[in-house]
Amino acid sequence: MAMSREDIFQEVQEILVDALGVDDDEITLEATLMGDLGAESIDFLDIVFRLEKAFSIKIPREELFPAESLMSNPEFVSNGKLTEKGLAEIQEKLPHTDLTEFEKNPDLNKLGDLFTVNAIINFIDSRINAA
Amino acid sequence: MRFILIDKVVSFEAGKQLKAVKSVSLAEEYLGDHFPTFPVLPGVLLLEGLIESASWLVRKSEGFAHSMILLEQAKNVRYKSFLSPGAQIEYTVDAKAIEDNVSSFMGLGVSQGERIVEARFALRHFNLADDDSAMAAVDGEVVENMKNRWKLLWHGSNFGS
Amino acid sequence: MRWIWIDKFIEFKSGLRAVAVKNVTLAEEHLHDHFPGFPVMPECLMIEGMAQTAGILVGEAKNFQEKVILAKVKKAVFFDYVKPGDSLRLEAKMESLAPEAASTSGKITCGEKLIAEIDLLFSHVDNNLAGKEFPEENFVFDDTSVFKSLLRDVASYSSGTEFVESERD
Repeated sequence: MAMSREDIFQEVQEILVDALGVDDDEITLEATLMGDLGAESIDFLDIVFRLEKAFSIKIPREELFPAESLMSNPEFVSNGKLTEKGLAEIQEKLPHTDLTEFEKNPDLNKLGDLFTVNAIINFIDSRINAA
Repeated sequence: MRFILIDKVVSFEAGKQLKAVKSVSLAEEYLGDHFPTFPVLPGVLLLEGLIESASWLVRKSEGFAHSMILLEQAKNVRYKSFLSPGAQIEYTVDAKAIEDNVSSFMGLGVSQGERIVEARFALRHFNLADDDSAMAAVDGEVVENMKNRWKLLWHGSNFGS
Repeated sequence: MRWIWIDKFIEFKSGLRAVAVKNVTLAEEHLHDHFPGFPVMPECLMIEGMAQTAGILVGEAKNFQEKVILAKVKKAVFFDYVKPGDSLRLEAKMESLAPEAASTSGKITCGEKLIAEIDLLFSHVDNNLAGKEFPEENFVFDDTSVFKSLLRDVASYSSGTEFVESERD
């Protein structure tokens, strides 16, 4: 099922409005799920379930939202920052996310900023429109 | 058991906001089932605390105009932590809109600085006599009882202060 | 009062759907406070009835090994109120089931009348809420006699005896 990015956006927007109780216009491509839209751990589960249903795909949670498994691993985190290994790990897990800005100061608290609406759309796009 | 899931109202601003508190005690029987080895206030009773707080905000703001104030819908009720015996929670409900027959709210419950529950919900208000004029006396009785309960929740909270 | 908000299951399809009934009676003390003079069943207790119907559906799907707790009421919409003498039918459907959580949809009816639609999200606490302390044993499903009793009238429920047996280990 091929879908344009605009169609994916529409669908994702509806899902986030329902799952997070935010308004349509709060869902921009740049909006971060945690910072701007107030998502918490349990909401990520909710969002994953809704995305799976809407797009008829299976999404392993750590594939879309790898933050939690990373944060608890001392190999990847040191003094509240991601180590080089951690950065490599997250880049591998988030091939669709541009980490250039984040790498300058890989503060754990900023990890949430990586999870934007755009990152979800990239992920879905790659999954359903892959050749 | 009784079904009053807030202990006192601590502040009230007509049409806008109400704050109430509830203490949790092992003396509350249902905690024996929820759960036998891990007693915590059931999540839906956290929601009930918010519903009751909002209902009082409506009753007081509209001068006890309606006997029936019921939950119409709740969305995104999120539970973030547990509330155990010995703890106290403060509920804050902010009215987004209070109209004649419906109202909507944002509700938050906090215990010792920790957010326990968050919800968006809407209430509907009506009188039984709206559908059946013979019910007017029942409406009156319910309203009278609720006025007395308000005294218990509000006057009681301000004794000695 | 006790904290059991369904009376029995009438259908139970493991991992798929469950239907329970709940009778509403004046013998329930709490109704007399909600409201004094005109008792109706509190909406939050209907949500709890659905949470128990759906929660047992979710728990049974993993053989009652997970601690299943209500994490989010995604949506609860009420269309009518419920009075003493009413008999409610609570139907829960599994929407998604994953190692760390499950989501369900459900509706409550009274005769032909739709009373409520309630969609819930459950968390398996051992796989979430890291850092919080919980009892070692499964505090949610430790009293299997309650479920056995709730499932007493479901003739087609076959794995019931299995889970009771395995819980004894």
